[in-house]
Amino acid sequence: MRTGVSARLPAARAVAGVATRGVNLDAALSEACAAADPGDAPTIRSLAYGAVRGYFRHEALLGAVCDRPARRLDPLVRALLSVACYELEDRRSPDYAIVDAAVETVRAAALGRSAGFVNAVLRRYLRERAAIDARIARDPAARHATPRWLAARLRADWPDRWESILAALDAQAPMWLRVDARRTTAARYLESLHASGLGGRLEPRVPFAVEADPPCDVARLPGFADGVASVQDLGAQCVVFPLDLRPGLRVLDACAAPGGKTALIAERQPALARLVALDVNAGRLERIQENLRRGGLTAQVLCGDASEPSGWWDGEPFDRILLDAPCSALGVIRRHPDIRLRKSPVDLEKLPLLQARLLRALWPLLAPGGRLVYATCTLVKAENHGVTADFLGSIADGDRVDPASWPGWPALGVGDARAGVQIFPGEAGADGFYYAALSKR
Amino acid sequence: MTKLAILEYPDPRLRTKAVPIDAVDDAVRRLADDMLETMYGSRGIGLAATQVDVHRRLLVCDVSPEHNRPVVLVNPELVLREDPALCEEGCLSLPGIYASVERAQRIRVRALGRDGAPFEMDAEGLGAICIQHEMDHLEGRLFVDYLSELKRQLIRRRLEKERRQRATTGERRARATVT
Repeated sequence: MRTGVSARLPAARAVAGVATRGVNLDAALSEACAAADPGDAPTIRSLAYGAVRGYFRHEALLGAVCDRPARRLDPLVRALLSVACYELEDRRSPDYAIVDAAVETVRAAALGRSAGFVNAVLRRYLRERAAIDARIARDPAARHATPRWLAARLRADWPDRWESILAALDAQAPMWLRVDARRTTAARYLESLHASGLGGRLEPRVPFAVEADPPCDVARLPGFADGVASVQDLGAQCVVFPLDLRPGLRVLDACAAPGGKTALIAERQPALARLVALDVNAGRLERIQENLRRGGLTAQVLCGDASEPSGWWDGEPFDRILLDAPCSALGVIRRHPDIRLRKSPVDLEKLPLLQARLLRALWPLLAPGGRLVYATCTLVKAENHGVTADFLGSIADGDRVDPASWPGWPALGVGDARAGVQIFPGEAGADGFYYAALSKR
Repeated sequence: MTKLAILEYPDPRLRTKAVPIDAVDDAVRRLADDMLETMYGSRGIGLAATQVDVHRRLLVCDVSPEHNRPVVLVNPELVLREDPALCEEGCLSLPGIYASVERAQRIRVRALGRDGAPFEMDAEGLGAICIQHEMDHLEGRLFVDYLSELKRQLIRRRLEKERRQRATTGERRARATVT
C-alpha cells in the first residue's frame, strides 16, 4: 500500500517553490517529480496546478478560518493547505478523507507540530463552508483567485471591464493552432482533425487559425511534427496584421524566444529579404531553432541584448521590427496561473522603464518608412499605451499607424489610432494582447 | 538484498490466491527482506508477496513516519475488526491512483513472525488499513475492486495510457509553443 502523501507532498513542494522562490510552476514541478515515483507525476501535476490556480481564493478562505494571515504561515504548510482546498473544491474524494490525508502529509513532511493546526483549519472551513463560500462568491477578486493588489490595478485601468477580465483569466484556456498556409488551409486542416477523430472550429476573422476542441496532446495533431500546424494562441497570431508583411522586407523579431512569432512571420511571408530572430537568453535560442526547423523555415538566429544593438547589429536597417516586449504577462494568466504568485507590484513599476529602454534602443535600427510593432501579452495600460505614448512624445519622426489600416485586422479588442489595440482575454477565445504599430517618417 | 519487480494492474497474476507457508525458513526471511527493500525503495508503506509474483501468504509493512518499524506477517488472519470508516488508499501496483475505501479502523491480527513464532497484534488507523489492504492482495483482491465498475474502467484506461506513454516517449512531455 501507498498513501496519497507520495503525491501531495511533492505537489505542495512545487507550489511552495513557486510562492517563495518565484520559479515557474513547470520548472518547480519537474524538480518535484524527479524525486517522486513516475506513476505519481500526473497526480502531482494536477494537484499542483489546481492549488496554484486557486491559491488566492484559498487565501481568502483561510483568512476566514485562521487567526493569523495566511501569508505568515510556513510556506510548505500554506502550500499543503492550498492542495487540500483544491481537493475540497474538486470534490473527487470525501471531505474527511482529504482532511485526513492533509494531516498525514503534514506529519510526513516533518511538520508534525502543524498537524493539529491544519486539521483544525480545514475542519472549521468544512463546518462554515456555506457561509465562507457565499462570502467568497460575492468578492470578485477572491472568487477569481486574484491577489488584491492585482485586482485593484486592473480595476483602476479597466473600471468597466475588470470583473469580466478576472473571470476570463480564471477560465480554462482553449487550444489554438496556426496552420501553415503554404501547405494547407484552415478549412482543410479542420477536416484532417475530424479525420483523426479530433474536433475543432475555425475563426473566420483569422483565416489561418483553428481551435482544437477539446484540447489534445500535440503528438496526436496531424502534421504537427513537420510544422503544418503549430500551437499558438489566437491573440499571438494577430501580430501579423499590424506587421503588414510584404515580399522583400527586412524584418527583426527583437525578443524572439521561443520563436512562435518568428515562425509565424516566416510562414506568412516566405519572400522576405531578411528575417532576424534575436534573443538575449542563449539557452532559449534552441527553442527558436526547433520551432523554425519543425516548419522547414529559416531565419538568422542571433544571441544579443535588444537594448544594446552595438553588440549584434551589422548596421543594415530593418523595414519591420517586432518588439514583443518583456511584460507582466497578465493577459496569459489563464494559461500560466503561477503568474499571479510570481508577479509583485514592484515588477509592474519596473517594467515600463525596461520597455521604454528597448523602444529607444531599437528605433534607430528602423529604416525611414519602416514600422515598429510594439506587442505585449498584458493588460496594464502603463506598459502598453503609456510606454508607446511617452515614446512617441519623445521623438520627432514617429507616428502611430491606425489599426483601421492594418490589412486583414479582425477588429478584435478596443483601441484606435491614438491608443493602440488591447485584446481582452477570452475575446474570441484569445489571450490578452496589446499591439501598437509605429511608423517612421 | 534485492529490489523486486512489482506487478502492475491489470496484470492477471495479481488475481492469484496465495497459499499458506508451511515453515518460516531462510528463504521466506530472505523474501521478506527483499520485499521490505522493495517497499521502502518505492515509497510504499506495505507490500504483499502477491505483488512481487510470489503466491504465498506473506506481507510486510511499516507505517511509522521514520520508516524504522518494519513488520513481517506470515499467514496473517484477522481475529477482530471494528469501526469501519472510509479512508484514502493507494497501491504500488496501481501507481498514481488513490481512492477512498471502507476499512475497519481497529483490528487484531494473528500471524507468524519473522522467527516463525505465532503472535497476535492490535493495529489501528493507518496500520489497520494497511494490513487489511495487503491481506486483500493475498486473496487476489485489489482496493479498486471496492469502487464502481465505471470508476475502475477509467482507472484501467488511465494506467494503460500512461504505461504506453512511458514506453514510447520516456517521461517526455509534449512541448507546445505558446507565445
